[in-house]
Amino acid sequence: MSGLGELDRPGTPESPGAWDERSEEWIAEGAEAREPGRVAEDASAGARGGREGREKGEASARARAGDDARGGAAAPARRQPSAPRRTAADPVKALMHRHRELCERAVDPLEIAAGLEAHGVTDRTAARFRHRDVFSLAEEMFARAARDEEAVPTPAAAPALQARTGWALLTLLPGALGTATAAGLRLTHGQARAFVAVAGVLAVALALRAALSRGPLSASDRTASGPAPHAPSTRIWTYWLLAYAALGDGLLRAAVAGGPDALPTGAADGPWPLATAPVLALAWACAPAAWCAHLFAVRARRRLAASRGLEEFADSVRPLLLGTFALHLCALAALLALCATVLGENAAYAQTVTLGALLLLARMLTTHGFTHAPAIVLTAAATAEATALVTVFAGRLPGCGFLATPVETLVGAWGPGSVPALVCGAAALTLLVHAARTLTRASAHATADRPC
Amino acid sequence: MDNRPSRHRLVRIRSSRCEPSGQRRLPKREIGGARVRIGLLTEGGYPYVSGDARLWCDRLVRGLGQHEFDIYALSRSERQEDEGWVPLPRQVGRVRTAPLWAAEEDGVVYGRRARRRFDECYGELAGVLSRGSAADAYGVSEETSAAEADRFSSALYGLAELARDEGGLVGALRSERAVRALERACRAPGALQTAREARVPDLLAVAAHLERALRPLSLDWYEDGGLDEVDLCHATSGGPAALPGLLAHHFSGVPLLLTEYGVRLRSHYLASTDAPPAVRSLLAAFHGRLATEIYTRAAVITPGNAHARRWQERCGADRAKLRTVYPGMDASHFAEVGESTECADPDTLVWVGRVEPAKDLVSLLHAFAEVRKEEPKTRLRIVGTPVGAEGEAYLGHCRSLAAQLFPDEAEGLHSVGDNPVCFEEIGGPELPTLADAYAAGAVTVLSSVVEGFPISLVEAMFCGRATVSTDVGAVVEVIGGTGLVVPPRNPRALAEACVAMLRDPERRERLGAAARARALELFTVEQNTTAFHGIYLEIVSHTPVRRVVLDDTGEPLPFAAPAEAHVPGRWTDANARVVARGGPGWAAGAPGTPGAPGAPGTPVRATASESAVEGAR
Repeated sequence: MSGLGELDRPGTPESPGAWDERSEEWIAEGAEAREPGRVAEDASAGARGGREGREKGEASARARAGDDARGGAAAPARRQPSAPRRTAADPVKALMHRHRELCERAVDPLEIAAGLEAHGVTDRTAARFRHRDVFSLAEEMFARAARDEEAVPTPAAAPALQARTGWALLTLLPGALGTATAAGLRLTHGQARAFVAVAGVLAVALALRAALSRGPLSASDRTASGPAPHAPSTRIWTYWLLAYAALGDGLLRAAVAGGPDALPTGAADGPWPLATAPVLALAWACAPAAWCAHLFAVRARRRLAASRGLEEFADSVRPLLLGTFALHLCALAALLALCATVLGENAAYAQTVTLGALLLLARMLTTHGFTHAPAIVLTAAATAEATALVTVFAGRLPGCGFLATPVETLVGAWGPGSVPALVCGAAALTLLVHAARTLTRASAHATADRPC
Repeated sequence: MDNRPSRHRLVRIRSSRCEPSGQRRLPKREIGGARVRIGLLTEGGYPYVSGDARLWCDRLVRGLGQHEFDIYALSRSERQEDEGWVPLPRQVGRVRTAPLWAAEEDGVVYGRRARRRFDECYGELAGVLSRGSAADAYGVSEETSAAEADRFSSALYGLAELARDEGGLVGALRSERAVRALERACRAPGALQTAREARVPDLLAVAAHLERALRPLSLDWYEDGGLDEVDLCHATSGGPAALPGLLAHHFSGVPLLLTEYGVRLRSHYLASTDAPPAVRSLLAAFHGRLATEIYTRAAVITPGNAHARRWQERCGADRAKLRTVYPGMDASHFAEVGESTECADPDTLVWVGRVEPAKDLVSLLHAFAEVRKEEPKTRLRIVGTPVGAEGEAYLGHCRSLAAQLFPDEAEGLHSVGDNPVCFEEIGGPELPTLADAYAAGAVTVLSSVVEGFPISLVEAMFCGRATVSTDVGAVVEVIGGTGLVVPPRNPRALAEACVAMLRDPERRERLGAAARARALELFTVEQNTTAFHGIYLEIVSHTPVRRVVLDDTGEPLPFAAPAEAHVPGRWTDANARVVARGGPGWAAGAPGTPGAPGAPGTPVRATASESAVEGAR
């Protein structure tokens, strides 16, 4: 700011020569008023040549000063208008006008200095603005710049609709293949049924993998540096939980009754019955799960862009998380009812819905970069189910009958579905509490980092 | 007054007489051919094939075969890593690389104490950043800004120590704790207005950027035979490359030499333009503070030109540490052209460079039109390749402008005409090499509006050509008095200078010879290499690294480093007031009185000791 008063002082020759277009214009406008000066300038420049051209500014200023003296004597009336114009011209103001975007945007003087230098302003240019160097010129510009404090940058436009169709179709694949497998199991017998079962399980597993590799359920955008450390164990326990949903209840019922006497035949009415409906419903539930995760991610990101504080963001995201979760449960229940009706089995709501909830929460946490808790909870749930089965069989050993008592009591009271329902329910509740704390953090929704 | 035990004094004197203490450490290294082990720190540069400034680093490493180089390279992208390395000479002892573009979390979960340490350090860091950079501290007093700088450095080193002791810094910097600390700092009283307006996405962006910028803190380079064993660290650029050097200095006292051909802070300002103001102000504060810290801790800083030097001075570099070392260029290609006396064409102007709008070829064409009014026989050859799509478009624009301004002309009625302005590229049949391009004309013209270090001007100087250039960037510094300089965007002045040159062959010759002499003096590879050789030896002798030397059995070798090796300061200057690096502040004492005798950081008054020794004899 030091230069301000000096700059407004009347009568100071400000622009020594035609160094840039502004002074060029100025000279051009006043050309007829200072014709002799131009001649003198040309002559001096022509005579002195190039290297000395650096000093040309001063030279022409001197020439013009002489011209002013002569012109003042010759035509005082014509010189008069140029004087106030000179004083009114605040060269820094003109410079600021030219670089106004830079000045408005700058967060500190060095940014203006860098920008000015990128536009070719050097210390010698700055000297014309009565500044020692570009830095002090930039400081003055920064201090004088009218920064619009209220200007809130428009939040970055939401990412354009990406290839949504890709993942949307992929999430339908497990359900479709599961349906085909279920139909195949219904239509075949004996060895062919075994083949169909194996092929169907493989196909569904691959389809599931494909569905989880893209879209909102994929973990790729967060853990780009490599596979998550807990991925294999999580995957294995997930398949175990699904397998239990298909075969576990039948096995437990048979075990309590003293069986099983034969391997599962794939039929729903055998000695070790196969529950197709829950697994099929869960396979179809990939689609609503993906949409729910997508909805949650998009909405959360939108709230992130709009929120000013971390607490505010957490408060606004928590109901969103619960709402999305409830939506998925409803969708899963509807799918289960549909599958059970079509397949003619009874819908095991409790265990299937809790399992679906558990898997969705585990996947959403993994997607947002929290792999530790899902791995532990899934392991715990799968171990608990396995333990329930093992205790029943262990109870048959002499002297160990007490081991089977809790599970048998449970099965006797609420049926075999109560064991997975309790286990998955507890696990899902744990994860829900965890998710309500972690998924409402802003850092969970940080987009892929962009360089800046 | 000076009541130190005489035993110590004797030892000190003996040391000062025989050799620089820096080379005492390893007896097998001899003084004359002192070998220095240099940790060369690069970021996205040498030894990668696509690295920046790899040519310079390669020449440096090859030119200083008597030293050992350990290269510590940070790669900038996966592609760069895949492209491989340039062949490395024998003197490169080891190469350690780390990716800056990917950081894997090591899965370390902090305990309570580590969490508290992290919160403290990161909170401090965020607190300093939210108060803005050192650059715009107008009314702030010296003490306050020094205290802020101190807070920044203690926070930075605190985080580095945390990373060294516990690991897991990458995860912590990405975590919610970091974001929360940033939010607290931005809402705290005293924060900048722009920082106060930070929204949650801004905080996340800042946290992510800080995590990326602080990745060198998590490297395992600082112990167990890494940077702690080198004699000096040479950072080839500021910013991330200098950060490992800074930490090596902090952990092991290794001196840091910083070479900046382009100022890193400036390129940061130019690069980050589309982020919200809150993000930019916090990041500008971070990079500004980091640059200041690096400049403060570096033993010697070598800017590549006066422009970089001004920025460094502005950011707090001590003038005493600055030594301008101009980039070196291989002069051998231009020797033939430079030494030959005859000139190809006395009426030809040549422009050589990359075609882009900043070169202002339009102004050159207008100037050439003026030249043609005075000297109708003159021709202009524009030699260069366009850069990018913008360059292509600009070249097309210039071609059409040239066609409009200058009609084709021929010798007589019966010969085929030609345009006085021709656009060419290196490698064609007429101009097989760069030197031929300069040889083709009597005068080399540079018409840029913006210029960093004008390489084409240096090449023209090597070729012994008279030059007319615009006064931009480092042009005046490079050209000295050996060419004509005119203001930028002033075709008339450019034309007049060109005409003056064209009309005066003697002057042209004189200036050309002077230019070649100047270039050979200042801008050769040898000059560059020799300068760094001298700086290495100077640093090693002035700031020796103190470390325990182990004998063959791995036991610490007693008296391996003589006691006098620990005495810093100038031996000849009676009034030197120097404190040991990292030494206690009270050791400095008041000027004029010697400090406490036992303190390792006290200055030695050589004259007093000398007389005492003689008295003892």
